[in-house]
Amino acid sequence: MEGDPEDWTSLQKPYRGLRLSDPIKSVEDKWLLLPAFLKVKGLVKQHIDSFNYFVDHDLKAIVRANSKVNSDVDPRFSFTFLDIKVGLPQSEQQDMTGKKALITPHECRLRDATYSAPIMVDIEYVRDGKRIVRHNVVIGRLPIMLRSNKCILAGKNESELAGLNECPLDPGGYFVVKGTEKVILVQEQLSKNRIIVEIDAAKAMVSASVTSSTHSGLKSKTYVNMRKGLIVLKHNSFSEDVPIAIAMKALGIQSDKEILLLCAGNTESYQESFAPNLEESSRAGVFTIHQAREWLGARVRSTRRPTGPRRPNWEEGLECLLMIVLTHVPVVDMDLSHKAVYVATMCRRVLMAQEDASLVDDRDYVGNKRLELAGQLLSLLFEDQFKAYVAQLKTAFDKVLKKPVRTSPFDPYTTMVVNGYIITTGFVRAISTGNWSLKRFRMDRAGVTHVLSRLSYISALGMMTRISSQFEKTRKVSGPRALQPSQWGMLCPSDTPEGESCGLVKNLALMTHITTDVDEMPLQKIVTLLGVEDICLSTGTEIYGRTSFVVHINGSIVGLTRFPSRFVSQFRKLRRAGKINEFVGVYINHHHKTVYIASDGGRICRPLIIVEGMHPKVTREHIELLKAGKVTFETFLRSGLVEYVDVNEENDSHIALYEKDIEPSTTHLEIEPFTILGAVAGLIPYPHHNQSPRNTYQCAMGKQAIGAIAYNQLNRIDTLLYLLVYPQQPMVKTKTIELVGYDKLPAGQNATVAIMSFSGYDIEDALILNRASIERGYGRCQVFRKNTAIIRKYANGTYDRLVAPSTNTPDEKLPKRFEILDIDGLARPGERVDPDDVYINKQSPKDTVTNTVNINPAQVEYRNTPMTYKTKVAGYIDKVMITDTDHDQALVKVLIRQTRVPELGDKFSSRHGQKGVVGLIVPQEDMPFNDQGICPDSIMNPHGFPSRMTVGKMIELLAGKAGVLRGTLEYGTAFGGSKVEDMSRILIEQGFSYSGKDMLTSGITGEPLEAYVYFGPIYYQKLKHMVMDKMHARAKGPRATLTRQPTEGRSRDGGLRLGEMERDCLVGYGATQLLLERLMISSDQFQVHACQTCGLMGYNGWCPYCKSSKKMAQLTIPYAAKLLFQELISMNVIPRLIMDDAA
Amino acid sequence: MNSTVTIRELKRDKCNFVLRGVNLGFANSFRRTMMADIPTVAIDLVEFESNTTVLPDEFIAHRLGMIPLVSTNCDESMKYTRECDCVEGCSLCMIELRIDFRCDRPGTTMNITSNHLEIRPMPDNWGPGNTGEELAKRTPEFGIPVSKSKDFSGFPILIASLRKGQELKVRCYAKKGIAKDHAKWSPCTAVGFEYDPYNKLRHTSYWFETDKAAEWPLSPNAAEEDAPLDDEPFDYDAEPDRFYYNVETDGSLTAKEVVLKALADMRSRAATIVFNIDNPPTSDAMDISEAPMAQMPLPTRAANGSYASPSTGWGTSPNGSGSGTGGQGTGWASPNVTAAGGWAV
Repeated sequence: MEGDPEDWTSLQKPYRGLRLSDPIKSVEDKWLLLPAFLKVKGLVKQHIDSFNYFVDHDLKAIVRANSKVNSDVDPRFSFTFLDIKVGLPQSEQQDMTGKKALITPHECRLRDATYSAPIMVDIEYVRDGKRIVRHNVVIGRLPIMLRSNKCILAGKNESELAGLNECPLDPGGYFVVKGTEKVILVQEQLSKNRIIVEIDAAKAMVSASVTSSTHSGLKSKTYVNMRKGLIVLKHNSFSEDVPIAIAMKALGIQSDKEILLLCAGNTESYQESFAPNLEESSRAGVFTIHQAREWLGARVRSTRRPTGPRRPNWEEGLECLLMIVLTHVPVVDMDLSHKAVYVATMCRRVLMAQEDASLVDDRDYVGNKRLELAGQLLSLLFEDQFKAYVAQLKTAFDKVLKKPVRTSPFDPYTTMVVNGYIITTGFVRAISTGNWSLKRFRMDRAGVTHVLSRLSYISALGMMTRISSQFEKTRKVSGPRALQPSQWGMLCPSDTPEGESCGLVKNLALMTHITTDVDEMPLQKIVTLLGVEDICLSTGTEIYGRTSFVVHINGSIVGLTRFPSRFVSQFRKLRRAGKINEFVGVYINHHHKTVYIASDGGRICRPLIIVEGMHPKVTREHIELLKAGKVTFETFLRSGLVEYVDVNEENDSHIALYEKDIEPSTTHLEIEPFTILGAVAGLIPYPHHNQSPRNTYQCAMGKQAIGAIAYNQLNRIDTLLYLLVYPQQPMVKTKTIELVGYDKLPAGQNATVAIMSFSGYDIEDALILNRASIERGYGRCQVFRKNTAIIRKYANGTYDRLVAPSTNTPDEKLPKRFEILDIDGLARPGERVDPDDVYINKQSPKDTVTNTVNINPAQVEYRNTPMTYKTKVAGYIDKVMITDTDHDQALVKVLIRQTRVPELGDKFSSRHGQKGVVGLIVPQEDMPFNDQGICPDSIMNPHGFPSRMTVGKMIELLAGKAGVLRGTLEYGTAFGGSKVEDMSRILIEQGFSYSGKDMLTSGITGEPLEAYVYFGPIYYQKLKHMVMDKMHARAKGPRATLTRQPTEGRSRDGGLRLGEMERDCLVGYGATQLLLERLMISSDQFQVHACQTCGLMGYNGWCPYCKSSKKMAQLTIPYAAKLLFQELISMNVIPRLIMDDAA
Repeated sequence: MNSTVTIRELKRDKCNFVLRGVNLGFANSFRRTMMADIPTVAIDLVEFESNTTVLPDEFIAHRLGMIPLVSTNCDESMKYTRECDCVEGCSLCMIELRIDFRCDRPGTTMNITSNHLEIRPMPDNWGPGNTGEELAKRTPEFGIPVSKSKDFSGFPILIASLRKGQELKVRCYAKKGIAKDHAKWSPCTAVGFEYDPYNKLRHTSYWFETDKAAEWPLSPNAAEEDAPLDDEPFDYDAEPDRFYYNVETDGSLTAKEVVLKALADMRSRAATIVFNIDNPPTSDAMDISEAPMAQMPLPTRAANGSYASPSTGWGTSPNGSGSGTGGQGTGWASPNVTAAGGWAV
């Protein structure tokens, strides 16, 4: 071989620890970026960020916009809000020293209080001719989001959180209002300030619409419609559609040529279809700008009350264009040219869509959506309330100022303090009811907030990532519900409910962030610096020129560039260098020939690894540093190795899924493919082997699984709390499980499952359980139920009281139902409560109205109002808490516990959407077993597999079995996880069949089973549906007052209805006597007296109509029928009973 | 046919043996008896005086119940509570164990384990007709947690962790019972059972993809038998006759005792059947408990051996606890039959 031996040996030497023959290094463990991301952003960071933005920025902006309070009475009066801030959450009650103590969220949960902090303003006003500044005046209280920067939990470590009775795994992001945890769900909306072009096939209309929304301005929608070749501008404030040429003229473009160029550009076909519109204006006799504004002004819908003389039409029209139409487009010094270009752009987009239907926008495209978070909703609420508060202050000031003579010098401060409650109650009411009805913003939304579901840790977590859509649920269109390709990596494809809200309620994927507003002023400067020419300087020829691209910032048109790629790459470089906020998105749309820059809030984005020159910028060395804990995710971001990409920019990028897929044109690399799933779907092992609906079913069921809820679960007093006695972390985990902490708060147990048929009690997905397993604690759970009593104080000075049970004579034995009570009238913790036992022996005064101030308290008469245990199965008193609410009422909470063992009919499910009820409980000696004597905990029928195709479950069993034998936890992470081949190898090494099958012996006969049985551990969840809560039967019982039919529902001890379809069966069969018995005798049989003469009902053998008792008959009819007759009579319809066989 | 037993391994809690010369039905009954019919002692009633731990009472009671207690010779040395003449528990039918533990160490948590269970004497208020002979049959360690017995190696069982100021004070009453009533009374953890490792009898069919031999690892028991020849004809009439057992216990009984007691138990049941066939009940067939059989002579071989009569009726479980899901439909022989003698099989 020729060549320098020196060179050769140097090549052979390891270079940076690598040899020539080594495979090209890949960035292993790049998924470690994910925990690093979650450390800084967290799963619910979007809620917290949004709330922080509201408190730190929006609040101040709102006050700045409404800072002055003037008086109509005294023009010299001045009152200004200088600043606003929010304090730390503190108690509403003052302690002995008059201070308000800081409160913890857990205290609020227990005491039914609101976790809120004072809103404080700095004010400036004039009193006695002197300028007075007051700081930190409290104007109300704001509920504080947990873990936000105003929450006392912010930045606390695990032991500090434990000291505050808070679970370190709890994500926060919710509010505690009146003791209940409330979440403001993320709302999905169509983006504001963006042009959307649509085709209405029914009306044969192409329309471009834009909803303008600015911080202070009104929301309004502007349309440019094209119908039968005519283009019109449509807006609510115009009483008729405005032909486009007139609109353009009114906007200051006078010449037809200029209009044509702006709206249609140089393209011949567009010009042709636009041309007729120019005629429209001349037909209307509009030629000049002034004429156009006159024309428009005559058609403005005036909302204002006429004050003073009516202004000329042209002025009216101009004002409307300036103030109301397209409010988001800036107008400087009455220069309407930006708006003109905007309308022209809309017009051109309509023309383009008319020609080529593929240029129509997709409403369901995630890039056209914006997510509204807690901060935005609260900011709307606060703006409304603050304005109301200011208005109220103003009237209060005016009232005082009107008085010609005042006893004391007027101090606005005192008036302020009196009016403070309006903001506090407004917040509390909105969050606790979920009704956001703001007349000012024409907003009336119900169901914005939800109670945080604490059924399991996962259900709480799942709720924090939930997104609800604004579309109404009844509409029969599939578009909004369908899976969108653009939701890749942003929204979880599996986690959506079944049924009416399917596809409308979505969940965020694991590695996403929702942006908050970023100031766009610096962006405009940077854009200009990068050589973008002002749009107002160009005509249609340039704008639609062959090489020119229009630059938009947040929907408004800024300028032109002829080098879009260079512009965008320079812009990106600046962003990667940290000169521009990392959440500013930029992308080129080649169809529109535009560059869009977005800095608005509510865009979903996710981090991606930047690829340059076919090399990912993140290398193994970086990951090593990350592993060593020397760098954080922020470092990656700041060094330009990783960047956030929103949906629109993602669509303009070339993203490689794996490193091997990198091509010359690749711009980004995925961090980890499994992050396309959300937190809930991430619990499923091997989801990529399952039929997709199964994963969706599991997402719904994982939220019903009983397990551990939080580290503070035993300190909580929730209405209903389900806990598993021995929860286990799954044998087959996923990376997501570790990241969200499901291994620390699991909800299920690793059951050894034999997949075989057994006894026939396992058909239709029923499960067989091993009795010995149950007795050893499998599936055992605890149910805690809260019972609350408020010890009221009444207005007349009386109050409820708790009393020890007593008997008339001292020797008399206490009735059994009072036995568990202590001398304070409350049940002793640890006592067993049987049905009908009293656990809170409360008495209430008989008279709560009459003033009793002068009456001896001993003379107040009381009646018993005890709380008795209604459940049919005995429980145990777990905890008794006595405290007081913020309104000085004593509050007693009694927590009653039941321990439940699995029984026939309880519901279990694996993590693959395979649910089943217990069909039979078998003694261990009857169970099949393998040669080592291992018995299954549960037997599942193999018929569950062929139609469900949950291959993931089979692989879970295989991996679980290998893990159990080797003593390791295996991974079933989506698109990865432990390989079947490796698992089989382990099985063989351990002396088992590689296929996961075992030879089992029947416990009943001792003979081997003829077939081999798939046998191993599968993680099973116990679901909250238990027979004990559902089983119900009644012989006789309560009846409804009105109809005298049996009541409905288990809670009212109701009857079981023989419904219409059941009735049809009996009718078809001809079982008349059975029908009679079911529908009348056993239901609402009633004896009536009817007159054979008039056919009306009487009573006691007397017909009041005929005034006779001669021809009265008695008959049995359903009470409901009697009721119907009487109701008909009351409407002047006479049903007559004509009897032919009356005795 | 002579039945033989070859013991391959015998440890305190493990017994591996080969049983020959019995049929499959017998072999399986033997396995089932070992699992479910050997009486042991386990905590069945817990009275809480004070429980300030984080765990609820039922939780701790369940954990206490699962702790294995030394039950050597339990069938003879203790009475079932329901059969005892005493009114509310006596030393013949109950064992009292107590935990009285409080964590006073600041800063750290302390563990309550099975070693904190202290045995307390029960009153000797036996009913009439009791001699207390059961007490004489007990070993000194009888009733203590297995983790406290002298030849135990390993860790005691954790019951609860306490932080400073928490306390657990309970009185536990251990009773005799069998695993048919609750798994806590089972002396066995697992009972391995196998026969015909080469599947010569074709009681099963091996599923395989390509090569049966490669895909199905042979059981270690295959060493005991001759591998079938490739051209060996299938013997239709062959019956299994070698059974491989591997009995593991939780320590409450030694493996040896489990095996012996199970054999004795089966023998006494068989004796009961034989006896009832020989002495058919005269009056009501269902009401055998009233037949004066206890006085009748029993077929005995050894001098001290005697067969007591079944004293419970049909279909009730021995504890009469009312739950009885497992026992329903099965006839019960009295589990406290004493059988020191033998029977020629």
